[in-house]
Amino acid sequence: MKRFALMTLSMSALVGSAMPAVAAEIAGGEVFTHYCSYCHGTEEGPGTQQLRRTRGADKALLARRTDLAPVYIEYVVRHGLKSMPPFVPSDLTDAKLKALAGFLTSPLPRP
Amino acid sequence: MVDALERFRKILGADWVFTGDKVASYRDPYTIPNDAERFQARAAVAPASTEEVQAIVKVANEYRVPLWTVSRGKNFAYGGAAPVLSGSVVLDLSRMNRILEVNEKFGYALVEPGVSYFDLYRYIQERGLKLWLDVPDPGWGSVVGNALDHGVGYTPYGDHFGMQCGMEVVLANGEVVRTGMGAMPNNNTWQLFKYGFGPYVDGIFSQSNFGIVTKMGIWLMSEPAGYRPYLITFPREEDIEQVVEIVRPLRLNNVLQNAATIRSLVLDAALFTTKSQFYPHAGPIPDSVAKQIMADQEIGMWNFCGALYGPPAITDVLWTATRDAFASIPGVKFYFPEDRKRRPDILIHRADTMKGIPKLTEFGFLNWNGGGGHVGFSPVSPITGQDAIKQWRMVSGRVREHGFDYMGLMAVGFRELHHVTVIVYDQNDPQERQKLDELFRLLVREAAAEGYGEYRTHINYMDTIAGTYGWNDSSLMKMHETIKDALDPNGILSPGKSGIWPRHLRAGRKS
Repeated sequence: MKRFALMTLSMSALVGSAMPAVAAEIAGGEVFTHYCSYCHGTEEGPGTQQLRRTRGADKALLARRTDLAPVYIEYVVRHGLKSMPPFVPSDLTDAKLKALAGFLTSPLPRP
Repeated sequence: MVDALERFRKILGADWVFTGDKVASYRDPYTIPNDAERFQARAAVAPASTEEVQAIVKVANEYRVPLWTVSRGKNFAYGGAAPVLSGSVVLDLSRMNRILEVNEKFGYALVEPGVSYFDLYRYIQERGLKLWLDVPDPGWGSVVGNALDHGVGYTPYGDHFGMQCGMEVVLANGEVVRTGMGAMPNNNTWQLFKYGFGPYVDGIFSQSNFGIVTKMGIWLMSEPAGYRPYLITFPREEDIEQVVEIVRPLRLNNVLQNAATIRSLVLDAALFTTKSQFYPHAGPIPDSVAKQIMADQEIGMWNFCGALYGPPAITDVLWTATRDAFASIPGVKFYFPEDRKRRPDILIHRADTMKGIPKLTEFGFLNWNGGGGHVGFSPVSPITGQDAIKQWRMVSGRVREHGFDYMGLMAVGFRELHHVTVIVYDQNDPQERQKLDELFRLLVREAAAEGYGEYRTHINYMDTIAGTYGWNDSSLMKMHETIKDALDPNGILSPGKSGIWPRHLRAGRKS
């Protein structure tokens, strides 16, 4: 899995404890799994269904898209789109968001 | 405000005080009013500890800054993280996400407000604990926040506030209180016995603005010896009367063990299909299309999802009693998961949620007509067929008159039905928002005239709903206001929550 060297935490710290202010690296794929996969990770997820309806079957699964720009990903995450609500920066931090955008714009295949 | 924000930065660090563009994420994602100035936060602050909450509250008092508290801000059909009072600073507790204890022996967890159902589920699974959660539809929601807003789930522990036990609360003056047995030093039953000694006060911190809950105990169900989910379908809308009459004695006698739900055709069909697949036109679907959807999805006009919990020797008996009770309804069909061949399928999905696996799958219904916005109208009634069909006729009639499909469910509580109607609308269309608003206010008025009250609502309707609880010259609201003035004299905590306003903002707000 491609990793992006950015400040803050390992994935284990995403859950169950306050964030440590230590330098580490964030795996964008793990951010996707943690924050996005419940809607966008499966064929039946609400996010997949919405994209299938609005963008077509070939663009339904987000992690297989190659047409998204980082700035667009970051905008949609912060502002929401249609039924997708925005994600607040206290939880999905700017550092995690950059890692996520990096993951979703990295070359296929993405593990 | 500028000085207050600078003080907040000194407490939290600049990274955890959000202003300008960063506040966009705190807006109501499914806005209703066409006035863009409403429900807008001025800033957001994200403390990581009770001590930081105390420090923020003290500064807010000093500068008279209104704080709008959210646990995780995921209560999206009710306003999300957005404040009732524009200009408020959102007190976002997402970073307070510690799971402080999970006790397998006694079946409880002690968590902070930032802990989601996903977090707690993962924690339990990673440790192999024999405990089940009870989850609402939004798995990313806060365990604390959902209970405080009187959310419901699907297992025998479906009444979330009923399952909370012991709180830590930061009051408006910065003092920290622990409720129940937590008030006794060195006590070891804080999460085991709710009432402690003296008045039981936990309830005044739910759906309220009297304090900031920073820790909460929640009871968890021990993994049962067996589990058997089922689906029962009914072919006619009018069947709801007989269905609910059958449900009541089964529920009162605990033959129905869980917080089961009876869902309408479109609400269930919309999980995995879209309206345009069946009816590419505006307006509610006609009866002929409804029948087509029933056949296509193998569901009924009403669909009862329930589950049996315990060893087979017990659940076999409970199932026999349940099946026999419903068998008198013409056209009824009974399914277990192995009977359902379609994928995806509603019973296969709810077999997860009725055993406490958090998901977001239920929100597939937002794709029904593509508008994205949704709001819930949620009056409560007794568990009688007469009330159920009366409510269904009142609400579905008005909903369809306004051009929407009826998407409703009746959640079976211990003694009551929550009749939750979800109205899915195009949030980007000002005319549709206006139409929705007119519909919602009409529904509230007509329900109140028949004695039905909402148990929970969107920030746009908190004053309106509070106004329907007006018995004896609104004596309950007067008591709320007395408590508010005593605990929060400067009115800094969540002004307008549940229609409760601080003294200096109270004038002219009565509905």
